Amino acid sequence: MLIMKNVSKVYQTEMVQTHALRDFDLEVKEGEFIAVTGPSGSGKTTFLNIAGMLEPYTSGQYMLDDVNVGGLSDNQRADLRNQKIGFIFQGFNLIPDLNLYENVEVPLRYRGIKAAERKKRIESCLEQVGLGSRAKHLPQQLSGGQQQRVAIARALAGEPRFLLADEPTGNLDSLMARQVMELLEQINRDGATIVMVTHDPELARRAPRNIQIVDGQVADLTLYQGVAGQTDRQVVGG
Amino acid sequence: MFLHYIDLGWRSLRRTPLVSFLMVLAIALGIGITMTSLSVYHMMSMDPIEHKSSRLFHPQLQTMDDGEETWSEDNLPYQLTYQDAKNLAEAPFPQYKAAMLRTGFTVHLDNAEIRPFIQNTRVTHSDFFTLFDLSFIYGSAWTQEQADAASPVAVISEELNQKLFSGENSVGRQIYLDDTSFRIVGVIAPWETHMKFYDVNNGAFNSQESIYIPFSLIAAMDINTWGNSNGWKFENIRSMKDKRQSEIFWLQFWVQLEDEAAVSQYGDFLMSYMAEQQTFGRFNREQLDYGLRDVNAWLDYRNVVSEDNEVLVALSFMFLAVCLANILGLLLAKFMRRAPEVGVRRALGASKRQVFLQHIIEVSMLGLIGGLMGIGIAQLGLWGVRLTQEYYSPLATMDLRMLLSAPVIAISACVIAGLYPAWLVCRTTPATYLKTQ
Repeated sequence: MLIMKNVSKVYQTEMVQTHALRDFDLEVKEGEFIAVTGPSGSGKTTFLNIAGMLEPYTSGQYMLDDVNVGGLSDNQRADLRNQKIGFIFQGFNLIPDLNLYENVEVPLRYRGIKAAERKKRIESCLEQVGLGSRAKHLPQQLSGGQQQRVAIARALAGEPRFLLADEPTGNLDSLMARQVMELLEQINRDGATIVMVTHDPELARRAPRNIQIVDGQVADLTLYQGVAGQTDRQVVGG
Repeated sequence: MFLHYIDLGWRSLRRTPLVSFLMVLAIALGIGITMTSLSVYHMMSMDPIEHKSSRLFHPQLQTMDDGEETWSEDNLPYQLTYQDAKNLAEAPFPQYKAAMLRTGFTVHLDNAEIRPFIQNTRVTHSDFFTLFDLSFIYGSAWTQEQADAASPVAVISEELNQKLFSGENSVGRQIYLDDTSFRIVGVIAPWETHMKFYDVNNGAFNSQESIYIPFSLIAAMDINTWGNSNGWKFENIRSMKDKRQSEIFWLQFWVQLEDEAAVSQYGDFLMSYMAEQQTFGRFNREQLDYGLRDVNAWLDYRNVVSEDNEVLVALSFMFLAVCLANILGLLLAKFMRRAPEVGVRRALGASKRQVFLQHIIEVSMLGLIGGLMGIGIAQLGLWGVRLTQEYYSPLATMDLRMLLSAPVIAISACVIAGLYPAWLVCRTTPATYLKTQ
């Protein structure tokens, strides 16, 4: 589903060049649930942004569903993103002026789905995350966990095949985090491919496949054999 | 999606009420000032008789001897002498023509309730009413027999008829112009024109005359003009008869010519007329010359809309530009503060074009609201003009075209001001703002 070959990302300032990703290789297969871990500044979020076409890469090749992302225009990338990818952010990123119903509606509007179909999907997704009765509430009237569930509902409403989650439980307490994780596992069982960036080893362990990013590259698994919390898991790259 | 963008725009305006108010106020002030000056300019420069302005012509004759000069741009006198006006009016060609001048009388009735008052009067031929498409509420123009006999008959305006006779059919009633009793033969409907285009001497925007009497009375009653008389050589004028026989320019003259062939034919006629007059010792020149301009060319030639007005309109547009510069600054700040939300929208599938459109629609709404408020401010401005500048009163009004133009100008101006901020916000990389959320 997702293939990155030799992908590099360089942030250039007047003084320095920062290599956020270097010769990054990864293949994600349909239906996988992958946890991405790594130290702060290792390039996890950059990888996720490039995977989600939210920012361009400097070199290499990125294929999403056999489409060469590098050859797409901005509008084509926006379409592809809208059709195939759902995002869940650490900071929820709900639009404060819109109520829950309207927040979930945002990607559907950009996809040009008709009002009746939108309504059906929104109500279904809000029900799925347990917030069906709060459709008219504004985000600020909800707890952090509830807001993240709305963000998940928004990601699900577009029926994406590929879900990118950046620290989805980072702002939540452990109970809320577990609930969100269970929801993601359910979504994966329903067929969505999930790539989740996390700092939490416990959450990472629950994912069937882990990869670790160090210094902008997928770490050599042999170097990480025996790392605490990962000794009983298969750590693979590429 | 368009309605959705309007909804988003409205929410955005409500989210920052103070900034929105400042922007609307800026555009409203800019549009108000601009529309005030533009409305006056528009009324000034509007075709006063649109349906036939290209068929009405004002002839000019170069009567002056060689070497003499007047102050027109082509050295042709603006007006005609009495003898030329009379001769041209009595010529068989074209069908409709009228010589004219402005004079005035003290008007009174055999009625103690109506106090005498001074009224501008136009002395002209009966074709005047046909040339300028004036319609009659009561009666008609005077007959050729009445004109030939210099009968004291008059056509009055509906307004004067209302004042003197309470709007009743006054045909056959008598009024006194100075000491002469005139019989009313017709009452004309209100003349829907903002400009006295047929006689732009002494102010093109003064109101039309309320009384019209036959041209033949000029000689019969020794009527003099209340307008301009311009001489170009010494003549010993001791009586009105002397003036009528002089080379003084003091009359206007209009003809209706249906097509280019008629215009050309009339030009030939004027040349032959001047050649004929040379045999009587007039038109002492080697090269005969004439002018023949239609209504709009005539108004341009006479500089009815002065450069001052054009400068005023230009200044008001500059003021609008200053208002727009302020709006641009406010929009930049407002839109860039919203960049994180735009980042989310872009992540969720919005294209740059969609984000751009959303913001352009928002600024269009600002323009629409500002434009509507601007109409109110312009109305205030025009009211002020009417209050303080009586001469411009008929012009200080907004016609439908101007009313519709106000929001269009406001929206266009706001869209221009919003282009850069909208472009800037739509080209932001979404990831940058998602990280900072």
